Amino acid sequence: MPEWLDVVVRSVLFVIFLFFVTKALGKKQIAQLSLFEYITGITIGSIAGESIMGLDGNIFLGVLGIGIVAFIPFLGGLISLKSKKFRDFTEGKGTIFIKDGKVLEDNLKKERYTVDEMLGLLRNKDIFQVSDVEYAVLEATGDLSVMLKKENQPLTPKDLNMKVASIKEPQTVIMDGKILDEPLATIGHSRGWLKTELEKLGVTIENVFIGQVNSYGELTVDVFDDKLQVPSPQERPLMLSTMKKCQADLELFALATEDKDAKQLFEKNSEKLQKAIDQVTYILKS
Amino acid sequence: MTVVSDVKQCLASLKGVEASLSNLVERTQDNESKQILHETMMVVSEIVADLKKRVGELENEEYQYKGY
Repeated sequence: MPEWLDVVVRSVLFVIFLFFVTKALGKKQIAQLSLFEYITGITIGSIAGESIMGLDGNIFLGVLGIGIVAFIPFLGGLISLKSKKFRDFTEGKGTIFIKDGKVLEDNLKKERYTVDEMLGLLRNKDIFQVSDVEYAVLEATGDLSVMLKKENQPLTPKDLNMKVASIKEPQTVIMDGKILDEPLATIGHSRGWLKTELEKLGVTIENVFIGQVNSYGELTVDVFDDKLQVPSPQERPLMLSTMKKCQADLELFALATEDKDAKQLFEKNSEKLQKAIDQVTYILKS
Repeated sequence: MTVVSDVKQCLASLKGVEASLSNLVERTQDNESKQILHETMMVVSEIVADLKKRVGELENEEYQYKGY
């Protein structure tokens, strides 16, 4: 076998082998490197390189080396699932940088971080003033996790005592002009329903790039023709305004009528409707 | 100008709302919203029943507007 062919065979073999080894080690390997994974990554890479180019060596020694280097972190992973102490040792613990709004200089020194580096990490989180921070931890992965002081945290509906409608994830039912049957079945609709909804919007299925159904069963589409204006769903706001109009009508009737019983009936119902409106406004307005 | 036709119009609108709400209840995936929409639908249908009764009374009073 000529040398170049040997290199080709070895390269292909090792790429496939490494692919499966990395896959077996799991997602963690790519997402964030712990100490173990960092070591394995480097070692596996260099063993593979050596085996591919070292033509006089035996391929299977390389395979064995990689197998062992990959097996140790695999074992370590299994143990650290069970033992917290082992986990702290191999994966490291977070270091508190800021506590109660005060920078802990000793911990900064221990991790060999300068003030500039810490400020840089904070800026990555869009924080430019240390006094805005209540608590910050340097994670084992090197990321800084920050909890802002309450007054600097983003405002949420809960802070405003606002009621918001809870929603489910939208389903994508059309992609590239093709109907996806599985998500459509998940929300319990048929192709016939989808065609009717598309007709209501006045677009053909071929012209739809993406079509999604939200948790209220409303279809929203993005069409290929960007000049085309597609109407957004109006049913819920329309329902709310009709209810409001009817409520006003009922109040009017109550004022206009002279019959005592009728007046009472209209008043009672207008109040009832008002209550119902207050109850659903947060769902119907959008 | 008569009250009967106004009440009838209001009744028709409310019936429309009732139907749309019932439709929306069926399509909504989230259970909490579903329940509140259902409650609202029940209230609206009670009001529709009351208004229907009133329309019946008015029709007896003003016979020329009978018929729906």
